Amino acid sequence: MASVQLTKGTRAYTIYKWAGVLALVLLVFVAAFAFNDTGKISVFDNDYKIGLTRITKAISFMVAILGLQVVAGFTGQLSLGQGFFFGTGAYLSAWLVADHSWPWFLTLVVVVPACFLLGLLFGVPALKIKGLYLALVTLGLAAVFPSLILLDVLEPYTAGAAGKIVDSDLIAPEWMPLDGIATGLQKIPLIGQYFGDGDLSSKQEQRIWTFFLMAVLAAVCFKMVSNLISSRPGRAIRAVRDNETSAAVNGMSLSYHKTMSFGVASALGGVGGMIYVAELGIASQGDFTQLLSILFIVGLVVGGVGTLSGAVIGGLVIAFIPEWASSTQNMPGVPDRWLQGPTGGLILGVGLIVLTFVLPGGIISGVRKLRAKIVQVLPAPIRVGESIAAKE
Amino acid sequence: MDLFLQRIFDGLSNGATYALIAMALVMIFKATTLINFAQGEFAMFGGFIVLVLATEQGLPMWIAVIVGMLISAVLAAGIERTLIRPFDPADHLPLVIITLGLFLAINAIAGIVWRFDPRAFPELFPSGKAMSIAGATLSWYTVFTMITILVVAGGLTLLLNKTKVGLAFRAVSSNLESSELVGIKVGPTLQFGWAIAAAVGTLGVSVFVASPFRQLEPQVMVTGLIFAVSAAALGGLDSLGGAILGGLAIGLVQSIAVPYLGVPTELSLLAAVVVLLLVLLFKPSGLFGTPQVERV
Repeated sequence: MASVQLTKGTRAYTIYKWAGVLALVLLVFVAAFAFNDTGKISVFDNDYKIGLTRITKAISFMVAILGLQVVAGFTGQLSLGQGFFFGTGAYLSAWLVADHSWPWFLTLVVVVPACFLLGLLFGVPALKIKGLYLALVTLGLAAVFPSLILLDVLEPYTAGAAGKIVDSDLIAPEWMPLDGIATGLQKIPLIGQYFGDGDLSSKQEQRIWTFFLMAVLAAVCFKMVSNLISSRPGRAIRAVRDNETSAAVNGMSLSYHKTMSFGVASALGGVGGMIYVAELGIASQGDFTQLLSILFIVGLVVGGVGTLSGAVIGGLVIAFIPEWASSTQNMPGVPDRWLQGPTGGLILGVGLIVLTFVLPGGIISGVRKLRAKIVQVLPAPIRVGESIAAKE
Repeated sequence: MDLFLQRIFDGLSNGATYALIAMALVMIFKATTLINFAQGEFAMFGGFIVLVLATEQGLPMWIAVIVGMLISAVLAAGIERTLIRPFDPADHLPLVIITLGLFLAINAIAGIVWRFDPRAFPELFPSGKAMSIAGATLSWYTVFTMITILVVAGGLTLLLNKTKVGLAFRAVSSNLESSELVGIKVGPTLQFGWAIAAAVGTLGVSVFVASPFRQLEPQVMVTGLIFAVSAAALGGLDSLGGAILGGLAIGLVQSIAVPYLGVPTELSLLAAVVVLLLVLLFKPSGLFGTPQVERV
């Protein structure tokens, strides 16, 4: 039995909800200043870095996984090619920024529709029939992407194997007192030492600013998807996922809803790619392989299929685990040979299998179970004389 | 003309491997309409087992291949029993995720144990050319890959049509629930499918890397799987004969259409994807597959 019970629609529930949002904003804020470039944990002489650039990379993965949540989590169509759209978004925005001096965020005007249309193009043949066909087609797309980038025709735009370098940075406007905030945080007793020392360099300021902007962009994407899911088309795609036959009988076009949701997913993949390249400053074809697409699936499942917060956890997991695995060089009881090479892939692969058995709903479902022991949210009671339909 | 003929021969020998992996995919798809995305990695792992048996244990090559096929069949049967059977065969998402987990894990284990540097594979077939036709060389390798797929196809046909377990497998493929009702043990029958698929896949990779122009390394089947998937879809995902023709056709597309259309070789993979898209657009059940009928 939960120790606290909250009823939806009451004041206490509203406070609880906003407290959650506030805690998240505070966490983002603290993360920005605390993990600037030195954050690391040391276990058994292994350094696990947490730097802010990695967190921004995780944000880009979160948005891509959010796209997978739409198509796989809510529509039930598995896509193994999110890396293709991630890469397309990355290269498109890198090209626009580097060669045409567009501001980063304006590139979304091109990236989003382009990825959406590409998604429709490949989604139409794959999604008109029932089965795993989308997975088959997208598996091929993801594998073909790196060699597409190397094509001679595209070389002038993609810079081929060398990678497309973009040196346009997101610079904080003058009126943003980032430096002042950092100094202020450093003065807090006890925890001040975790916020670094002295003034921020321009590099650090720029990192914090990029992180903030991308966190806001990701938040906007999450809010939009959350609205989409609870709207009429959102209910339609969930109906398609839960029972195709009954969805069709109720007048929903299966292929239309599947294809549209794949388009939305692809567009989100493109947005993720733009965040990735804006943070990294280079798009290179080796980053967007088939493995990346499979890692996105890992993130989807590990976080929790069909949950938005699962995408956040999934993004963090796939941004940090492979890197931490390769920085693990000493582990008592484990032979050195097993610490070198693709240990990240092994951990993620085995983790994927184990999670499917013990926690099929992903980490989020575990968190929710724990939370349900403390706080229980009850639906708002229906008052007598008021129909459910009128409430909605 | 000689170049054209040469490309046909090359295409056929590539296609043979795609055909074998495609047959492995079909064996699993037939029974449960599941695609095993780890099939290529199973095969790669089997290839390494064969290599270890032949080079480190000193077994004759063909014995090593057969023992390797048996070992990978046993491994796959074990994987089916522990990781696949606990799930409802009709619910694809968890099963596909398990196969993706296997993909990552097997690839990583092979990378850790055998490292990523390519290794030469011992000769499986006599080298040299069998004959010259109009200036093109037909190598023994091509001849023997053709013979191999015919032998495998014949063996599988006999196994499915003349043995009791084959009969059970066909019953399960045709209707899982009804065959359960008439007393067929569905679990072990599907396990049999997984074992056969892994054995065929191991043979496929052994034949593939036995070519003097190829070597064995953990990534060898990552793109091979995509060719095999397109091949299986082209032939019809539930048709073994279709898988062979599909595999050979994809091999021919790769070696003939790609150079003549002036497409760079790296993009032969794109050709496979395009074939897959065309099949899905115009004949979703493939050339020899059973069209889907769903009752409401």
